[in-house]
Amino acid sequence: MKQLILFFFAVVTFTSCKKDENPIVPVQPPANEEEVITTLVLTFTDIQSFEDHVFRFTDLDGDGGNAPVIEVDDLPGNRDFAVFISFLNESVSPVQNITTQIENELEQHQFFFQTVGVNLTISYGDEDANMHPVGLINNSTSLSPSTGTLKVTLRHDPDKSATGVSSGDITNAGGDTDIEVTFPVVIL
Amino acid sequence: MFRARLFGSIVLLLYLPNTAVQGQTVNCKLEFSGTVTDEHDGTPLSYANVVLVEAERSAIADVDGHFKFIGLCPGTFTLRVAHLGCEPVERQLVLVKSTRLDLFLEHHSEELHDLEVIRERPDENVGQPNTVLDKHSMEKSTGRSMAEMLAVVPGVTILSTGPTIGKPMIHGLSGNRILTLNQGIRQEDQQWGTEHAPNLDPFSSDRITVVKGAASVQYGSDAMGGVIITEPVDLPRTAGINGELRGVGILNGRGGGGNAMLQGGLKGLRGFGWRVQGSGKILGDSEAPDYMLSNTGIREQGASATIGYRDLRFRSTLYFSWFQRELGILRASHIGNLTDLDNAIATGTPWYVGDFTYDIDAPRQTSDHLLAKAELDYALTERNRIVVTYAYQTDSRKEYDIRRGGRSALPALDLGLTTHTADASFKHWIGKHIHGRAGLSGLFQRNINEPGTGIRPLIPNYQKESGGVYLIEHLPLGERVEVEAGGRLENTTLLIAKYDATGTLLQPEFEYTNHALGVGVNWSIRDSVRVRFNFSTAYRPPHVSELFSEGLHHGAAAIEVGNDQLDSERSLKGTTDIDALWFQGRLQTNFTFYADHISNYIYLRPAGEQLTIRGAFPVFDYVSTDAFLYGLDATLQVAVTSRWAVRSRTSIVRGRDLRMDQWLFQIPSDRTETTLLYSIVKTGKWRGMELGISSNYVAQQRRIPPELDYASPPRPYHLLGFQASAARKLGNNEVRFGLQATNLFNTTYRDYMDRFRYYAAARGIDVSLWVRFSFGRPR
Repeated sequence: MKQLILFFFAVVTFTSCKKDENPIVPVQPPANEEEVITTLVLTFTDIQSFEDHVFRFTDLDGDGGNAPVIEVDDLPGNRDFAVFISFLNESVSPVQNITTQIENELEQHQFFFQTVGVNLTISYGDEDANMHPVGLINNSTSLSPSTGTLKVTLRHDPDKSATGVSSGDITNAGGDTDIEVTFPVVIL
Repeated sequence: MFRARLFGSIVLLLYLPNTAVQGQTVNCKLEFSGTVTDEHDGTPLSYANVVLVEAERSAIADVDGHFKFIGLCPGTFTLRVAHLGCEPVERQLVLVKSTRLDLFLEHHSEELHDLEVIRERPDENVGQPNTVLDKHSMEKSTGRSMAEMLAVVPGVTILSTGPTIGKPMIHGLSGNRILTLNQGIRQEDQQWGTEHAPNLDPFSSDRITVVKGAASVQYGSDAMGGVIITEPVDLPRTAGINGELRGVGILNGRGGGGNAMLQGGLKGLRGFGWRVQGSGKILGDSEAPDYMLSNTGIREQGASATIGYRDLRFRSTLYFSWFQRELGILRASHIGNLTDLDNAIATGTPWYVGDFTYDIDAPRQTSDHLLAKAELDYALTERNRIVVTYAYQTDSRKEYDIRRGGRSALPALDLGLTTHTADASFKHWIGKHIHGRAGLSGLFQRNINEPGTGIRPLIPNYQKESGGVYLIEHLPLGERVEVEAGGRLENTTLLIAKYDATGTLLQPEFEYTNHALGVGVNWSIRDSVRVRFNFSTAYRPPHVSELFSEGLHHGAAAIEVGNDQLDSERSLKGTTDIDALWFQGRLQTNFTFYADHISNYIYLRPAGEQLTIRGAFPVFDYVSTDAFLYGLDATLQVAVTSRWAVRSRTSIVRGRDLRMDQWLFQIPSDRTETTLLYSIVKTGKWRGMELGISSNYVAQQRRIPPELDYASPPRPYHLLGFQASAARKLGNNEVRFGLQATNLFNTTYRDYMDRFRYYAAARGIDVSLWVRFSFGRPR
């Protein structure tokens, strides 16, 4: 019986060590996530006037939380553009340019562009070491005035040799999606 | 009452033909006979099952409790006695001349000096339906995971996340609603979430008990659906070394594993014993019938060591074990958003299929489990004992995701969980008949996120303290009825430390006080019919992930949002279990009926969609409801002749969401397994030969909540399996071979209970071949 009482005492002592300084508090707040893409920017540069038209998707607090903000410049009709894509992590300071990470892994990434209702064509203007397109730099032509949407998708590990993929058809691409953003587009 | 103590495992009967003794060889003319008697009142235990394990012989006692074996060879045997309604008892028997023994089976008296108790089943869980998987049953699944081994038990299914992660599910509940006791210690690594399999080395135990009822009174929180108990193997007590080597080759995954065990005692120090054990397993990618399931390799290694001492008054054990696992997660299950998921479902094949490899790439998990346990058991008087246990366990888990910029080698999740548990129980007798256990238990746990992942932790740091008291008493009512009643009170506090998105430190604190009450009855209506009733409550405080999740869950393509207002789940479960023997034991039936009401049942409910840079994701909120689960487990076994037997096992479970008035998500569909068994006790030098063909039918789940799932439940499937095993003597040693084949026709199927069914089919045909070599039988 003595042992029992001793043990009870031990347990009580054991569980009653109160948190004087809370040892479970993490040493410092976790650094903001290195891999979050908060911002996607498509810059349509008019190849005659060098005027920039910017499509921007921003979600500063990452997945969940506040809703993202989408800002889109209208595009003039019947023009040719060079389209540059960049993405940023604006939740860290200084702002991180994530485009360079993709530039190091060109073979594992490809963009796809799908338009609905708008008279806009986009074709690849770059390629990786295997002569497959990537989509960081593109050529685009706007036609008659119209409104619709442009969906930009970035696939990680797509099968770039599959039928149609190198010409921009997403159907057989496979892979997993890193980015999928739909912009409302107006061609004036 | 001792009758209850002997009550038995049906599993036992499945592989040993209940035939009269037959066959004699020149040197084998010994007889072993006796009676089986109730220790308390001296009445004979009719129809008790007496087994000499190594001889592969069994006999059933007659009405007066008499049994007899003839034609035995001299040697050391494990004698096992089971009686309907009791737990089996095992003892060591040294047979050098014909022997007659009256088996009272309690260890007090010196008259049984020929016998040593090597395992004594405590009489607990009265009224609870339970199933025992002994060494022989487990051996048939050598090389499989714990969950796969348990899935042969009616009412137990597997909740899996692809081919590498499986969690046992009992009566429709799994994860934190099932308690796993490893070597008598609460296994704490389930605290992290559904896609984490229990970190247990199936080689380190050779007996698992599945209790299919609410059992918080006995075991504390989480024991809502049931309890899985992997039991410590008893140590040798006398001098001499023995051991075993096991090896297994597995076709699907092109790998295998092995285990080595050595144990012994010390000369001149009777009662002292030791054991060491080590195991390993490697599997490459699994294969579905039509394609590789890329990145589904597994690597496991484990080791354990035990030393112990026991005499009549004093028993002590020190146990130490380590287990490590690395596993790949199906590459094709790593998807970016809901569009990818829809694509995966529409195409019906995984989007990534590579060549076979043993390599494990991201996404992958590594986990380590370390357990150290010390136990002291001291007899204060002849009938009152005190048992004190302390255990320390650490779990570490690293999850590696597919990350950009060469960061895949950096864990995306890096958790360390440290748990101390301490228990003290006082086993006592009050007067002549009432006996029970009073106890105290405490737990102290810390979960720490290792810094350096570069990702905001999914589960915050926390500290959990819990303490409980309980009392369980057994009261025999006359000859045939044993009643158990008990209660427990437990208090849990949870302290969280996390930073929110803006970098503000939050330190919320939670306190939960819960109680459980239970009553159980074992009633032997006749010697051939036994009924168990149990009516018990159980509880589970909400888990930290249910309180604080906030983020994207990649495998599930969903944003999960916790709710810190959730309260403890409380379960009230009633079970009725009926065991019966018919036609002199030729037909055995077992039926378990159960109904389980759970208030504050926590689950994920869809709550609209949220736009992210990866596209739209569905949002799921942790909410609570009241759930009602009910069902039936049935086992029938017919001994057609002494060699042929047919066995059938069926499980049915239903789950309702009472507040929403709809079916619960992810409840197993109806399933039935029928096995044709053929066994030969002895032929030539071979012994214990057994062949079985089994047919496994799993129906389609049609009872689903509307508009929750991404794809409709998979079609029904039917799988065929085959197994064979046999043993032969090599001098004093024994070799046992076995073959197990599953999905013989290489059928393509998907299982509703597999969370990766959206991405790929289940594994195709698998064949495993195992061998066990036992040397130096204990003397």
